[in-house]
Amino acid sequence: MRYTLQRVGQFVIVFVIVTFVVMVATRIGSKDVARDLAGGAVSDALIERVNNDYPYLDKPLVVQYGYWLKDMVTGNMGTSYAQSQDVVDMFKQRLPVTFFVGFWAIFIGLLIAVPLGVYSAYRRDGWVDRVSSYISFAFISTPPLVFAVFLIYFVALRLDVFPVLSDYVAPWDNPVEHAKNFFLPALSLGMGLAAIWTRFLRADMIITLQSDFIMLARAKGMSPSRILWRHALRASVLSLVTSVALQVSSLVGGAVIAEQFFGLAGIGTRLVFAVQANDILVIQAVTAVLVVTVVAVNLLVDLLYAVIDPRIRHARVFA
Amino acid sequence: MSTTATSSTLDAAEPSAAMSASPQKGSRKRWHPTTIFASIWLGALTILAILADYLPFIRGYQERVKGASRFQFGPGTDFLFGSDQLGRDMFARCIYGAQISLRVAASSILLGLLIGGTMGLAAGYLRGWFDRVISIFVDVLLAFPALIISILIVGRFDVLSASSSTFSWLTRTWSITFVLGLLSIAPIARIVRAQTLSLSQREFVLAARSLGAKNSRVIFREILPNLVPAMTSVVFTGIAVLLVAEGGLAFLGYSVKPPSPSWGLLVSENRERIQEAWWATIFPCIMLFLTVLSFNMIGDRVARRFDIREAAL
Amino acid sequence: MTTLQTSLRSAQGTLIEVKDLKTHFTTPRGVVRAVDGVTFSIERGKSLGIVGESGSGKTVLSRSIMGLLPKHGTIREGSVLFQGQDILHRSPKEMRGIWGSEMAMIFQDPMSSLNPLMKIGRQIAEPLREHLGMSVKDARTTAERLLRDVRIPEAARRLEQYPHELSGGMRQRVMIAIALACGPTMLFADEPTTALDVTVQAQILELINEQRRDRNMSLILVTHDLGVVAGNTDEIAVMYGGKLVEKAPTKTLFAHMKMPYTQALLESIPRLNQPSHSRLTTIPGRPPDLVNPPRGCRFAPRCAFARDRCLEEEPELTKGEQAGHVFACFYPVGSSEYEERKLELKRKSSASAEEGKK
Repeated sequence: MRYTLQRVGQFVIVFVIVTFVVMVATRIGSKDVARDLAGGAVSDALIERVNNDYPYLDKPLVVQYGYWLKDMVTGNMGTSYAQSQDVVDMFKQRLPVTFFVGFWAIFIGLLIAVPLGVYSAYRRDGWVDRVSSYISFAFISTPPLVFAVFLIYFVALRLDVFPVLSDYVAPWDNPVEHAKNFFLPALSLGMGLAAIWTRFLRADMIITLQSDFIMLARAKGMSPSRILWRHALRASVLSLVTSVALQVSSLVGGAVIAEQFFGLAGIGTRLVFAVQANDILVIQAVTAVLVVTVVAVNLLVDLLYAVIDPRIRHARVFA
Repeated sequence: MSTTATSSTLDAAEPSAAMSASPQKGSRKRWHPTTIFASIWLGALTILAILADYLPFIRGYQERVKGASRFQFGPGTDFLFGSDQLGRDMFARCIYGAQISLRVAASSILLGLLIGGTMGLAAGYLRGWFDRVISIFVDVLLAFPALIISILIVGRFDVLSASSSTFSWLTRTWSITFVLGLLSIAPIARIVRAQTLSLSQREFVLAARSLGAKNSRVIFREILPNLVPAMTSVVFTGIAVLLVAEGGLAFLGYSVKPPSPSWGLLVSENRERIQEAWWATIFPCIMLFLTVLSFNMIGDRVARRFDIREAAL
Repeated sequence: MTTLQTSLRSAQGTLIEVKDLKTHFTTPRGVVRAVDGVTFSIERGKSLGIVGESGSGKTVLSRSIMGLLPKHGTIREGSVLFQGQDILHRSPKEMRGIWGSEMAMIFQDPMSSLNPLMKIGRQIAEPLREHLGMSVKDARTTAERLLRDVRIPEAARRLEQYPHELSGGMRQRVMIAIALACGPTMLFADEPTTALDVTVQAQILELINEQRRDRNMSLILVTHDLGVVAGNTDEIAVMYGGKLVEKAPTKTLFAHMKMPYTQALLESIPRLNQPSHSRLTTIPGRPPDLVNPPRGCRFAPRCAFARDRCLEEEPELTKGEQAGHVFACFYPVGSSEYEERKLELKRKSSASAEEGKK
């Protein structure tokens, strides 16, 4: 309990620092904040409205930040004046797109990495291990952008299955179309993840497979598959889980590129557009949501540690 | 993206457990084939990039060859990588792209090494409250969503350089170098701190200190030279990571501006026409891939050779 | 199952016969001859202690008989007959049917040998489900009974606990319960008490022995400590440098030990009846390099009683005067050459003591 509180406290501090710095960054060099919020060259009436909505724009930044934070907590993210769209509505519309890109990327990454990592460690230096270690090294060195180009050129343009430009289709509306639209974007991110995770899992599995309790499991006459999946895998996933959490924040960057490349109307494309248009409120809101997501994933991973390893559970209860 | 050398990758150096007397790889070759490949590729690319202006067979990157408009030429003897929409030589643009990408990545890693390295060295050597302050700073830096902060800063710098004459020198090349340098500070500081911490516990450092050597002497004569292998590895893998980052930012339009060719920019310029002129998109991709791969290979080799575990960006 | 097993249980005769067993590992340094031609057999329901320093090949020998060795780079020659059938060249799949059900092993360190992430009940139930095809419920009941058999209090509650929640002695009892689960005929115990507190060691040995008697199992007890096997096994085999150098029924061995190496091992055990602070004799030198073992007797380079012949010629295992006693030594304890050298040594040491006084 105390441990969890401590972690939450850390995350709150990080959240405040990051969002405050982003706020400062959006205000640097700005001569007329109200005008910038409104989107630059706009009518005086709109600026009036902005000043009405935000009567504190002449106050020090810290005060402004306080008001902003209060707005965020109460769920009021403001309006994108340039697009005359409520920011919360924007999220409702676009967040699922980004979520599914990330979700399927992680899914594909794990789907490849777990069996491959386990098998490579089991048959170490066998041909599967050798081939997969070369390929994963190459994949780690392949930027998502390059994956995307190759997928478009060699898959989308050749097979008439996947669209070159994807659209958002909810999985509950049409699972097949959803899969078609999200497969390539997710794959362009997932292959790199698979490569990293295969290496992590393989390395940890190799260490686990040399441990005494695996020897005991063998001496008990357990089958290799049971030893690998029931005994060794669970003891080897801690760094994999850590890496999944760490990759979530870099996945955000990848998702922006994938969305842009495959023409998905997600948070990423909106953010790039917001920065171009200096749509300050959107920038701030997106950053905040992002940091919260990353924080949430990290907390989740913390809980997962305890589920995986009873010794951690034990240590925390009595800490 | 992390390129950790956690364990055996390209070939396995096996930890022999007490019972499993599995055969280890024999004598370690000094030149691994991958290293040779990577060195040749990087060497050739660097020479071409540096001498691009003087080599007769490399056209100017803005030179529009007459009669070569609209992707007229595919890859061949005349246009090695084909021509682009405006009739420019893709090979020349790729080489000049290398010039830009490599210069940006190398100078940012240098910046990161200078600031992050100093911070890590100080934190690891002096320890105490100094270490704590720097560690918190590093943690906070790592918490920033890298891509968002990058495009945000580049965007703000654009505004600054456009609105005030004091900042007019702040071109995209400068801002992208600054941003990537900023991003590499925290990981580098972390690695250098860890390395320094373990080095300062080693016998020769303790011996030097107990003989009454001054801090500056211990740092410059004992610790810094021993940081070199780890730093070499960090520089190589770091450049690889920064090349990827620069490619992504360029693709989004937040690196150098056209007509300057950076690989990511070339991809974003030409990708819409990939079906009619694959060469204009695929070649920059291959260049980016091979270069990142080579940097990673060398970084990985160095890390493996000196058994550096933390060398991950 | 029961009728077959009971009939096997009651049967007398040889359970395991090891003939000229060699286990070699290929390593970058060369071939390690960890076990180099060992022959012995063990009767049903009997126990054998294998004693030697670390690196003598005793652990490899026990794992080699069971077949629990990494496949990679391991060469095994000779034969191991288990219930009359050669098991040395069986496939891993066939071996899995024997492991845990017919042969079981208790390992040295219960902390690292039990799966830290699996409940104890499940770890005991696993082989029951695998080998005996028990239902989840039956396996659980059996596991609880097994925990009671190895005298773990509150057995039902322990089933739900993880290894880290138990003390070292308790963990070792759990490991014994796992080994006993499917009613094996052959039990291996590899340094079962080394990782435990001195106070618990005797209890664990007692438990192993009692279970062996109750279940009419054969036992191979591997240890570096002659004291551990002294009261606990019917026979003792001493290993050195991958070879058997002396083997005898326990009483005979202690009364008539022939190998200077066995003697040295005995002298290196601290004993309660010795005056405290009396000096322990250690064996000088290090165990032989098993890649390039010495030419003659492998112990000769470290042996105070070795003569030229020992360095040149390898002694064969020969029968002693007592029943079941074999040893490999040219100048065994009690021979005239041995006594002669012993006197010399005594003179020397008293001379040097004199010198020290001056």
